[in-house]
Amino acid sequence: MAAPALQDVSLRIEDGSYTAIIGHTGSGKSTLLQHFNGLLKPTSGQLTVNGVTITPATKNKELSDLRHQVGFVFQFPEAQLFEETVLKDIAFAPRNFGKSAAEAEQIARKVAAMVGLSETTLTQSPFDLSGGQMRRAAIAGILAMEPHTLILDEPTAGLDPQGRRSMMNLFARLHREYLLTIILVTHQMDDVADYADHVVVMEHGQVLQTGTPRQVFADAKWLREHHLRLPQTAAMAEQLAARGFSFDPLPLTEHELADQLVPQLQGGGRHD
Amino acid sequence: MPVIDVRDVTVQYRDEDRPALQHVSLQVTRGEWIALIGHNGSGKSTLARALDGLVPLTAGAIHVAGIPVDEEHIWDVRRRVGMVFQNPDNQFVGADVAGDVAFSLENQEVPREEMHQRVAAALKAVGMAGYANHAPSRLSGGQKQRVAIAGVLALRPEIVIFDEATSMLDPAGRDDVVTLMRTLHEQGLTIITITHDIDEAGLADRVIMLDNGRVVTAAPPATVFAQEDTLVARGLDVPYSARLKQALAARGVRVPKEYLTNEGMVNWLSQLKSTI
Amino acid sequence: MTKLLLGRYVPGNSVLHRMDARAKLALSFAFIAIIFLANNWATYLILSAFTLGCVFLSRVSVRFFIAGVRPLIWLILLTVTLQIFFARGGTVYWHWGIFSLTAGGIINGIFVFCRFMLIICMSTLLTLTTPPLAIADAMESLMAPLKLLKVPVAEIALMLSIALRFVPTLMDETQKIMNAQRARGVSFSTGKIRNRIKAIIPLLVPLFVSSFERAEDLATAMEARGYRDGAHRTKYRVQQWHLVDTIAVVVFVFLTGALVWLRA
Repeated sequence: MAAPALQDVSLRIEDGSYTAIIGHTGSGKSTLLQHFNGLLKPTSGQLTVNGVTITPATKNKELSDLRHQVGFVFQFPEAQLFEETVLKDIAFAPRNFGKSAAEAEQIARKVAAMVGLSETTLTQSPFDLSGGQMRRAAIAGILAMEPHTLILDEPTAGLDPQGRRSMMNLFARLHREYLLTIILVTHQMDDVADYADHVVVMEHGQVLQTGTPRQVFADAKWLREHHLRLPQTAAMAEQLAARGFSFDPLPLTEHELADQLVPQLQGGGRHD
Repeated sequence: MPVIDVRDVTVQYRDEDRPALQHVSLQVTRGEWIALIGHNGSGKSTLARALDGLVPLTAGAIHVAGIPVDEEHIWDVRRRVGMVFQNPDNQFVGADVAGDVAFSLENQEVPREEMHQRVAAALKAVGMAGYANHAPSRLSGGQKQRVAIAGVLALRPEIVIFDEATSMLDPAGRDDVVTLMRTLHEQGLTIITITHDIDEAGLADRVIMLDNGRVVTAAPPATVFAQEDTLVARGLDVPYSARLKQALAARGVRVPKEYLTNEGMVNWLSQLKSTI
Repeated sequence: MTKLLLGRYVPGNSVLHRMDARAKLALSFAFIAIIFLANNWATYLILSAFTLGCVFLSRVSVRFFIAGVRPLIWLILLTVTLQIFFARGGTVYWHWGIFSLTAGGIINGIFVFCRFMLIICMSTLLTLTTPPLAIADAMESLMAPLKLLKVPVAEIALMLSIALRFVPTLMDETQKIMNAQRARGVSFSTGKIRNRIKAIIPLLVPLFVSSFERAEDLATAMEARGYRDGAHRTKYRVQQWHLVDTIAVVVFVFLTGALVWLRA
C-alpha cells in the first residue's frame, strides 16, 4: 500500500482571504486542491466548503454542485480550450450548469471584460490567440461559473515577465473588486509575499505550518531546513541583518525594506 | 574567429506579417556564455533555432565553428550544436533514459561499444548515472531536462543552446539545470541560454536583448541591468537589487549609477550604515 | 479498465523476462497459429497446460494475472454466446428463428472460449515480460526481410517505439483535461448516453491539439539531434539470443508435433 497522498490535514481558509499554498512538487498540494471543488473525496475525515460538507460517503452527484462554487484554474489552463469561438468556450461551463444560451452568453461577455479580453477576440477561434490571451480566455471560462472561490495552480507558469505581472494583477483585482476568495499554489515566493494574506506550508502530504507571510518568512532557518526559499526582500533583509542592520517587522517588499533602511543609513543616505 | 557568426539575418515565416528576425548580426566568441532575453514573440527562439538550421533564413548567413549553416552542411552543424528545449516531455525520444541519451549517437552512426561508454559518461556528468533504465514517466521535469543535457553532451558539441530549458521546472529542477550550465561553461563550452529569468541571465558573460526581431542591446549583464527603464519598457523583469536601488532613490538616498549585484548591494549599504 | 494487463510491462527477472524478444514475439505469433490446429479436448488440454506453464515461468502471481485478464471477459462471453446460438450440429435443445441451441454449438462455444483465453493469456504474457521497446525492436528484426520490398521497417519501428513511449504521457494528459472539464461541469460517468457522448468532444479536441503540439516539438528535437532517416543509424540496444531461446523453440516444436498427433 502506497503512503496516503494526504495525511491528517486540518486547515481553515477564511472567506475572502488570499491564501497561498507552498511546498515541493509532490508535497500533496494538488491533491489537497482537488478536494476543495469535489474532484476528489477524502478517504477519511471531512471538509466543509461554503456550508457544504463532504465526507467519504458523499455522492458524486452532490459534488457537482461544488464545482461551480469553487472555480479551479489548472496549470496551463489553456489546454482546456476546445470550442469554435472564445465566446462559446467561455459560455461552456454556465451551459453545463443549466443556464440558457442567452444567459450563458451574457455571463461570458461580462467575464471576458473582467479578464481584459476585447470584443473582437470573442468571435475568434481560441487557437488563434496568443499564449497570454489563451490563458485569459481559459480563466474567463472558469469565472463564468461565477464561483466564490478561485483556485489557481501555478497560474503564471510559462508566461513572460510582463504576462506574469499582468496575470498577478488580474488576480489581485478579482480578489479586491469582486471579493473572490483566492487560493494560489506557487513556487514564486515573491508572489506569496506580494499578494497573499495567509500561507499554508505543505510537506509529505501534511500541513507543516500556517500563518501570515510575515510569520512564515520570518524563520529563515526553518524554511531552509525544509528546502523552501525566501522571497527576495526577506533574503536581502537577512543578509543585511548579518551586517548589523535590524528589521522589525520583517519587510516583504522592496518598499518596506527601503522604508526601514533609510533611517539606519548615515544622514538618511543623503550626503555625499 | 568567432564560434558563431550571424550576419544580417532575416527570417520571415510564411504565415506571419512581420519578420521574426530583422537584419540580426551577432558574433559569439568560443567559450562565451550568452543570454538571449526578450518578451514572448521577440524572436529569441527563432534566433536560437536558426543557429541550428532548424528555420530557413530569408536573408543573411550564419556560420557555426566556421561551417556555413546551409542545406549542405546542416548535419555537420548539428553535430557541433546541442539544443535543450523547453518542454521536458516533448524532447524525450527514447523509451528509457539510456535509450534517449543514445538517440543522437545512433543518428551519427557511432559504433555500439563507443556508444555505451559515451552514454555512461554523459549520464554521470549530469548526475543521472543510476537512472539508465528508468522510463521517462518515472522522472521529474528536472531529471528529464538533465537527461536531455546528457543527450547533448554525449555528442561532444562545441555549443549548447538552452531554449527556455528551465521555464517549466520547479525551483529545485531549475537549480540543477543552472548548475549544469555553469559546469559546462567552466569546461569551455559555448553556452547560449534563452530565458525570462533575470537571475539566470545575470550569470552570462553577455546579455543580448531582442525586441521585434531586432537586437536592441548586447552588453555585459551589469550594463544591461543598469538600464532599468529599458528592461521594463521591453516587457522584462528588473533584477531585485536594481528594484531596491530605485526604491531607495525614491526616498532620497543617493544611489550609485552602476548596477550592483545583491552582494554588491549588501556591501554598499553596509558602508553607509550609521554607527549609532 | 485500469486493471487490464494486456499491453502492460511488469519488470522482473524470470526466464520469460530474460528471453530474447524476437523469440518471444515469433513464438507468440506461432502459438496463435497452432491454436487453430486444436480441435478436440486433448489438444485444448495440452495447449492450456502449456499456457499455464508459461504463466508460472513468468513468476507473475496467478491471481494478479487472472484479475488482469478479467476486464476482457465480457467481450469473450459475447462472442462465445453468438457462437453458441449460431453454430449448429448434433442434438437440438432449443430453436427460435435463426437462433438454435445445439450440442455441437455448445462444444464449439467452449472451444472458441478456450481459443480466446489462450490467445489473450499468451499475448498478455508477451507484453508482461517484454519491455515495449524490446517488442518494437523485435518487430524491426522480424520485419527485416520486408526491407527488400522497400518497406521503411526502421521508420515503422521507431514510430512504434515513440508511440509506446508517449502512451503514459498521453494518459496523464487525458486525466488532466478530464479534470479541467469536470471542473467546468462536464460529467464523463453519469447522465444520459447522449450527454456522455457529447462530453467526449471537450476531451478529444484539446487532446488532439496538445498531441499535435507535442509531435511538432518532438520532430524539432529529433531533427536538432541529427535524425535524418532510419537507414543511417547504429543501434544502441541489440537483442541477444541465449540457450533459453533455443530451448523454447525446441519445446515449441514438440508442442506443435503433439498437437498434430493428438488432433482429431
